[in-house]
Amino acid sequence: MLCDNCKERPASVIFTQEGMGGSAERHLCEKCAFQTQVFHFDPSQEPLSIQQFLSHWFSGSESIQPFQQSRDSMPDGPICPDCKLTFRKFLDIGKFGCPTCYDTFRGQLPRVFSKLHNGHTTHVGKIPDSFNERFALKKKVEEIRSKMQEAIEMERFEDAAALRDEANALKERLAECGNGGDGSDVN
Amino acid sequence: MSINKFMKGAVTGWMTSHGEHSDIVMSTRIRLARNLRGFRFPIAFTADEAEKVDSQVSAALLTSDEKGYAYMKMSELPGLERQVLIEKHLVSPQLTDVKRHGAVILSEDETLSIMLNEEDHIRIQCIYPGFQLENAYDHADSVDNYLENKLPYAFDEDFGYLTSCPSNTGTGMRASVMMHLPALTITKQIERIIPAIARLGMIVRGSYGEGSEAPGNIYQVSNQTTLGKPEKEILSDLKNVALRLIAHERRSRELLLSKSRVALENKLFRSLGIISYARLLPSGEAARCLSDVRLGIDLGIIEDVDMSILNELMIFMQPGFLQQYAEADLTAEERDIFRADLFRERLRSEQQTNENNKEN
Repeated sequence: MLCDNCKERPASVIFTQEGMGGSAERHLCEKCAFQTQVFHFDPSQEPLSIQQFLSHWFSGSESIQPFQQSRDSMPDGPICPDCKLTFRKFLDIGKFGCPTCYDTFRGQLPRVFSKLHNGHTTHVGKIPDSFNERFALKKKVEEIRSKMQEAIEMERFEDAAALRDEANALKERLAECGNGGDGSDVN
Repeated sequence: MSINKFMKGAVTGWMTSHGEHSDIVMSTRIRLARNLRGFRFPIAFTADEAEKVDSQVSAALLTSDEKGYAYMKMSELPGLERQVLIEKHLVSPQLTDVKRHGAVILSEDETLSIMLNEEDHIRIQCIYPGFQLENAYDHADSVDNYLENKLPYAFDEDFGYLTSCPSNTGTGMRASVMMHLPALTITKQIERIIPAIARLGMIVRGSYGEGSEAPGNIYQVSNQTTLGKPEKEILSDLKNVALRLIAHERRSRELLLSKSRVALENKLFRSLGIISYARLLPSGEAARCLSDVRLGIDLGIIEDVDMSILNELMIFMQPGFLQQYAEADLTAEERDIFRADLFRERLRSEQQTNENNKEN
């Protein structure tokens, strides 16, 4: 029997579709079956099942093995200091645990994104207006804060107080240019 | 509850039928996924972090100049009301899981909904009636700009907006167009079109039901990738694909009319008969008939029925709304009875309006 869709290749996959008027069978070749899978979606899942997609990551052909043996011996990869997600666990669940994961897995991510986003690995769209200015200010605050620590350790308390005032002033400017959070706590 | 009173309270902005190409495009949706720096994503965060994210974002929004925002915490909302929000597409089923600290902020006309602590900390969603990609994006973008100025977003120079799922990283934007494509479905062309569109980096899927069928012949077309293309380009690519689908659907409608007018009229009027007189109306049959009636209206075959009937009744025929209409819990069979009641009443109220208009 030929594939219902392309009518060229032999049909090797049978789909049963539950329709309004009962169920109907469709005979498809492997190629067409793969393509129509986009359409056979489970609404609770992502359009493209990231988990399934990424779970075949680590070891290429090995991952076809039905059970965990090979996966257990796999390295965990880098571990995120903030949420404790390992790279391997990330591939298993298909989700990042926190923004820091992106830093932790930075080296591995271009390959992941390239697969998910049609070969693209870097963002070229909208950038938050305040991002550039805020980024520079934050850097400055961090710098001052480490100088302040130094001053405290050296018992140069007057210097430390001056540095604290400077940092607080910058913090205010940070708030003005749009940082409502308390991420730059210098006290 | 009387049908008019019920509809008044239930019809939401995007269900009306206007906007460009509103005979084929039912609605346009833009969703932006955003997260705050300094908090883990909902998949990994603590109740305390959830609370902080919630209070920071809602404080920023509820103190804005925009009036009429309503805040709703999922865990404080009765189950039926959560169900109705899902059926109106204002929140996702995932958000309503009461264990997960979800909340939503809605604009007064419900075109804007901001989900808090869904998969990401913030999901800005705008739904507009008809084909309005630019307008819907501009609206979402302005809310995004406002929030960005109040809150520290998780953003990376290389990867853009950081999201919990790597499939949203970059712009964090999903744009989708909901289309009624009965002629492409009847002529089975849709089966060939879907794989072709997938190759263009877009996704087509049935939008209401589960499985492969598209109840009511309603399909959702959306962008698949979010990284490596600016927002405007994603929007214009999607727009081009949608415009081609619209043109294709129109041609197929003309073809159907010219080749088999009587058979088509017969099919469409029979469907109008079913929803006008049935006493038991299962959801599958209801969706099929609604699609037919809407096609009849679009083609000028069926007169005196408003075209918003498809948008509205596809939503109201769902279990949550039916139970709200009935003001009672309903079993599946009772729902079929109430669905039939609701449809008959809706069509009767239409008739009355028309008669009144004629008298005046």
